[in-house]
Amino acid sequence: MLSSIQSPRLLRLSTLHQIPLRCLQTSTTPVPTPSSPQPTSQILKIRKSLLSRETTAVEIAKTFLSRLRRTEPQLKSFLYVSPEDAVLKQAEEIDRKIRNNEELGPLAGVLAGVKDNICTSDMPSTAGSKILENYTPPYDATAVKKLRENGAIIVGKTNLDEFGMGSTTEASGYQVTANPWDLSRVPGGSSGGSAAAVSAQQCAVSLGTDTGGSVRQPASFCGVVGLKPTYGRVSRYGLVAYASSLDVIGCLGSSVADTGIVLQAVSGHDKFDATSSKQGIPNFASQFIPKDYLDSKPLKGLRVGVIRETLADGVDPDVISSLQHSVSHLEDLGCTISEVSFPSFSLGLPAYYILASSESSSNLARYDGVRFGNQVFADELSSLYGDSRAEGFGSEVKLRILMGTYALSAGYYDAYYKRAQQVRTLVQKSFRAALEENDVLISPAAPSVAYKIGEKKNDPLAMYAGDIMTVNVNLAGLPALVLPCGFVEEGSSVLPVGLQMIGAAFDEESLLKIGHIFEQTLQGYSFVPPLVGDDF
Amino acid sequence: MGSRAFMVLLSHRGAYINPSANAAQLFLTFGQSPFSPVKKKCLVERRNHRTSHNFSTAANSSLEPPNLPRLAETARISLTPDEVEEFAPKMKQVVDWFGQLQAIDLESIEPAMRADTEDDNSRDDLPQIFENREAIIKAMPSYEEPYIKVPKVLNKE
Repeated sequence: MLSSIQSPRLLRLSTLHQIPLRCLQTSTTPVPTPSSPQPTSQILKIRKSLLSRETTAVEIAKTFLSRLRRTEPQLKSFLYVSPEDAVLKQAEEIDRKIRNNEELGPLAGVLAGVKDNICTSDMPSTAGSKILENYTPPYDATAVKKLRENGAIIVGKTNLDEFGMGSTTEASGYQVTANPWDLSRVPGGSSGGSAAAVSAQQCAVSLGTDTGGSVRQPASFCGVVGLKPTYGRVSRYGLVAYASSLDVIGCLGSSVADTGIVLQAVSGHDKFDATSSKQGIPNFASQFIPKDYLDSKPLKGLRVGVIRETLADGVDPDVISSLQHSVSHLEDLGCTISEVSFPSFSLGLPAYYILASSESSSNLARYDGVRFGNQVFADELSSLYGDSRAEGFGSEVKLRILMGTYALSAGYYDAYYKRAQQVRTLVQKSFRAALEENDVLISPAAPSVAYKIGEKKNDPLAMYAGDIMTVNVNLAGLPALVLPCGFVEEGSSVLPVGLQMIGAAFDEESLLKIGHIFEQTLQGYSFVPPLVGDDF
Repeated sequence: MGSRAFMVLLSHRGAYINPSANAAQLFLTFGQSPFSPVKKKCLVERRNHRTSHNFSTAANSSLEPPNLPRLAETARISLTPDEVEEFAPKMKQVVDWFGQLQAIDLESIEPAMRADTEDDNSRDDLPQIFENREAIIKAMPSYEEPYIKVPKVLNKE
């Protein structure tokens, strides 16, 4: 009866407590790869090998740099790569500290990529836009400053959709990044460069930003872990603003532990960001119990809510199938599964785009060609503004600024922006209610696997529709973790699928604990792309 | 007043309702859109009486579609005629899609500016010297100490 998936409607988990979930597994499940070791924390591996003197920071840096050089012509993840001697100089400094038995930061020797909309004072920061070509900021973003204080080596700036506006990196003013799993496909966006770089292990970890899903969706498309913290957990000082009420800086890594350790490093209240929270930072890194020490039902008693609306029409049946496998796996770990419904779920998408376009139209008003960025010569001031912006901004950015300008115009504010804010209240209330009955909520991270390059380019609504799984989380300001949970076969390619877990505000600790256990006990999948293969 | 009118309409349709339920609770209880064409018409009429914004007073309450050249001027982006032609249908498509929020009753729902954050996280308003002034100046396209140089401002009508 359920041997093939024709319509996603058949898979409504409406009586979850009655139907054993194993019955819903189908023959379209891709065959897992032969058993391979669970993802290990790159950060802890590097630390161990440095402290045991097994290797040096310089050797580690050279390994990553060589892999970066080898794969970069095909991937184009980076807009700027730090000169090799600068990277090795920092690595040598770490080796000197080791030789002198000096204290090492938790990220010592770890090569990190930083999305190019996060300011670095020693590297250009273009936000993926021509209007900021060669712009070098006068300060480091707080998150960058903290990475450096913890010993990380910033290897370069990663590609993104211009100003964060996009879901594929095709809207970058400079280049399109390829998905390491299939070079004819997108890595997702807007943090596509950050996700691809970690997936191909061009760097160990990276920072991205998430306004409507821009860390989580590329993590799903590239088969890496993406963590979106609670709004206010990480300072936005030095983050090029897109939508100030929604933007957060997030972490990407090849294991849950790595994203947790990076989160630990970059979190904290910052006096330069009035929206940054004074909430205490738990020791996120202490969640990562080694697999062998886990109980047989390590997540016993955990209440997991599956969001019903995320398994409806429009979601790829193979993605739904992967989600159901994940649900089975969580059940095996001892979780209690139930279903939650968010009737206002689909309203979140237009509400998000109204809010994001409106706020971006205000935030991008500063790019006027006068105080920084590219200037187009004009003999009159408004033409200087108009022409500098016309030449510097790409089409998607112009479109969103115009939409935002419209939504905020006199007479339209009540109809659009205010109503979108009211929908935001409804979304917040829905999540709060659901998270009283459940410890964590789950859904797919995206309705499909990675698209082909060019597939969605001329259809804005089709592009926006892909964000349906992620935007509501930004409206509510909640934390969410995406981790790879399976694969889908498309032609000759095998493409990863990401599972999204959503937690209560400031409860990244639970997400990391659950995610780590899920990851460490998931059998039979290897999330290392063939491009990297044995090298890694 | 708005929420009471909403309640009356629903019970007229025969739906069970808790008289003290607010719109948010309705969302969670029913799991379906509680909006019908009858309600939409009533809501629209109420709205037109109430506000003095330039909504059309027609029964279907359609807002004026985007005037692209005017918006481009407001946003200070010089669009080429090709761009106007390319963007206009895309904008219309997206704005029509935004329009689905018009159909919902959001009476008595407070707008949320952002996710809940703590109050009073401002720092003291004390001036501090920024160390890297040279880098700021270096980034300016046209600078003649101590002025940022720009072309003349033309006074439009």
